[in-house]
Amino acid sequence: MDLFLQTLLNGLLIGGVIATFTIAFQLTFGVLHVIDFAVGGWVVLGGYLGYYMAAGLGVDGFLAIPAAFFLFGAIGYLIGPILYNVRNSRTARPELMALALTFGLFTLLRGGMLTAWGFNTRNVPTALSGESLALGPVTVPMIRVAAAVFAIVIAGGLFLFLYRTRYGLAIRATAENRQNAALMGVNIRRLSANVYGLYAGITAMAGVLMGAVYSVNPEIGLRYTLFAFFVAVLAGLGSVGGALVAALLLGVIEAYVSTYVGSSYSLLAIFATLFLVLLISPKGILRRGL
Amino acid sequence: MSPAAQTPAAGGEPILVVRDLYKHFGGIKATNGVTLEVRRQEIAGLIGPNGSGKSTLFSLVAGTVAPDSGQIRFDGHEIAGKSAHAVARLGLARTFQIPALFENMTVTENLLAAAAEGRWQGARERAAETLALLRLEHVAENRASDLSGGQQKLLEFGRAVMRQASLVLLDEVTAGVHPNIRKIILEAITRLRERGITFLIIEHDMEMVRSVCDRIIVMDSGRVVTSGTFSEIVRNSEVMQTYLGRPQ
Amino acid sequence: MTTQPVKSRLPGLLLLAAVLVLLALMPLMVNNYWLRIATGALMWAGLACSWNILGGYAGYINFGHSAFFGLGAYVTAFLMNDPFGLPFLVTVPAGMLVTAVFAVIIGAPTLRLRGAYFAIATWAFAEVLIQFASAMDFTGGIGGIGLPPYLNERFFYFAMLGAAALTYLLTWLLFERSRFGLKVKALRDHEPAAEAMGINTALVKLQTFVLSAVTASVFGAIFAYWVTFINPKSVFGGDITDQMVVMVLLGGLGSLWGPAIGGVALFVVNRLMWMYWGDTAFYIALLGAAIVLVVLFLPNGIAGLFSGRRSNALEKAAGKLVGRVDEGERP
Repeated sequence: MDLFLQTLLNGLLIGGVIATFTIAFQLTFGVLHVIDFAVGGWVVLGGYLGYYMAAGLGVDGFLAIPAAFFLFGAIGYLIGPILYNVRNSRTARPELMALALTFGLFTLLRGGMLTAWGFNTRNVPTALSGESLALGPVTVPMIRVAAAVFAIVIAGGLFLFLYRTRYGLAIRATAENRQNAALMGVNIRRLSANVYGLYAGITAMAGVLMGAVYSVNPEIGLRYTLFAFFVAVLAGLGSVGGALVAALLLGVIEAYVSTYVGSSYSLLAIFATLFLVLLISPKGILRRGL
Repeated sequence: MSPAAQTPAAGGEPILVVRDLYKHFGGIKATNGVTLEVRRQEIAGLIGPNGSGKSTLFSLVAGTVAPDSGQIRFDGHEIAGKSAHAVARLGLARTFQIPALFENMTVTENLLAAAAEGRWQGARERAAETLALLRLEHVAENRASDLSGGQQKLLEFGRAVMRQASLVLLDEVTAGVHPNIRKIILEAITRLRERGITFLIIEHDMEMVRSVCDRIIVMDSGRVVTSGTFSEIVRNSEVMQTYLGRPQ
Repeated sequence: MTTQPVKSRLPGLLLLAAVLVLLALMPLMVNNYWLRIATGALMWAGLACSWNILGGYAGYINFGHSAFFGLGAYVTAFLMNDPFGLPFLVTVPAGMLVTAVFAVIIGAPTLRLRGAYFAIATWAFAEVLIQFASAMDFTGGIGGIGLPPYLNERFFYFAMLGAAALTYLLTWLLFERSRFGLKVKALRDHEPAAEAMGINTALVKLQTFVLSAVTASVFGAIFAYWVTFINPKSVFGGDITDQMVVMVLLGGLGSLWGPAIGGVALFVVNRLMWMYWGDTAFYIALLGAAIVLVVLFLPNGIAGLFSGRRSNALEKAAGKLVGRVDEGERP
């Protein structure tokens, strides 16, 4: 029973971290109408930034969180307009071309990281690494609790931004109906750049957390792209509310399969669930608007 | 007197019968019990203010949207709730308000694609005839996306012609086009009617309605409020004021 | 560009005839090493064409096409081994059948939705197959499965040549010269309009998808017999799909010869890099950069440069550089 509870708690904590970047992923789809294959690449890059800051500058890994936000936010801000142009260009099939572009970006990031850093696995060291927290009968690693706390802060900040600011309203309006937003005077192109930057920054921050809880290597990006897709399919593409629930569910499924079946089966379980959901209820089962 | 008004609806036997058609989107009653008839070989105009349910009615009849309840009888078949391609195969063609062309295909290919499901024999000859009818020969090998707005409207209309349908639904096919192109379309409609084709036309332009339609059906708030010849509708000044916003 | 230009087709036909003669005489002209490279190039040209059938003509991106390549390979490997010991030529149709069944199961529900869900579903399917084949005993697990060796390079060369030639012939007949192709391209460009033209889009899409999957399985079957040993990564691996996607984009999405040009070009680059640098991760980065550059600057691929839309393509590339786009969403 203790193991059961402990697994549940572990899963929820990781699910919280997954939620941060999958929510941003959904928001990006809502605004740009692009499925970003590169999402896993941003996670891994965030993890590497954490590792190199800790190893190179000797600072605590958690200090890399704001750095990741600003660095990858800036990079995303530069990539966003390109993606927007392709998605809205007069080429034969803009939707397909945009998907191919993010796929190419993902492959480029993966190949570049493999070339630069090899297949080695890196962990982001923090002051809390190795500690654990006892909560009654269950014990969880302190690092997971800390990561979940950071995740709540990040996600909370994002929600406050979306629901309490004028610019957040513009983003939500665009995600809801692009034509109407454009009519109301929203500059969709600039907004897309900002949203992609916001998303890349948040995803890289989640990458620092993931690198601290687990570890990163260039090949692991695919796993996080899968996570984002899983959440998108379960929640329905573009649904931000459903994404939180789906991400927590994903964390719990992964934790239980790893604990009770074996960690080598967790990917198979996630893929199989994703696939079955697509077959049975292809529009997502948690469908809800923003 | 326009020539159309002198030709009473030929045949008189209905080709399309719609009874008590309901379709609600959430709380919006897009069609709220529509009942109407279109007779064989007539050109019927469908008018009414924006949001009165005209386009929804087209989508329901063409099978793009399934109705909540009601009957649609087309040429002896009950088609309510049938899929769009099944309805099309029974001999009903439609155009889209915003041209929905096959943009990466040439003009000729667009016409041929319209004939791909149906009688294929002689399709190339018919495509050539349609190009001539619509004066599109000089752009036959251009990509559809490279056409001007008016040419796109012509091609949209041409695809419906290629279907060899018995009933054609035209959704504002002359809206916003150059008078020359409008004339081409009007002539084509009249000629096709002589060959036995029935038209139901959504139209905002009263001049066009007057010159081509045998009978006019007026919709408002998801229902048919009245129908009759152009002069009958015009005489009903209340209708003109309320629904067309143009006192006579 | 889907239609032939009005100008004479003679030069094109002569070129095609010359290429075919050259391909037929290839085994007499080169040694086994180069014959293997030619065999590989033919396989990739054929696979790129099979991906293009769905991706180019129907407009649905398949990110798990390796699944069907792998199914063909595994069925052949499985049936040629004990206890079945079937001859190779019997295993090919068996693989095609199994592949078709899987394609229907995946395609029927997901092809009804917008392309993104389909892309995710196919991608997930290929990954499930990797995980599944790695976990199961009858597939040989991660270790893989061997096939009875048949060391006749010429046989495999001509098998690949035949399969590739048939794939291209079939694609030409179906998509460039028949009503079926018109229907597929119509639904690609505007699905509701295609429906309004009486086209059963769900059915036509499924037929196209099955055709695309089944052709890939044939190459998988020949590949397995050729290399005499397969494992989950070598036939289901995502890199196989990546490579097909790049080849088609590079050559020209939705054109008949684009995949052949892109397939041969990229495969030769791959081999040359391998010869000089060995197996390198840099190739992956290069693939990614190639996709990005093609999407940004050459959206019609190499084939687009020769199809009279050249000025158009360059204009668009130039327009993109200065950020000129038309506003508004296109479906």
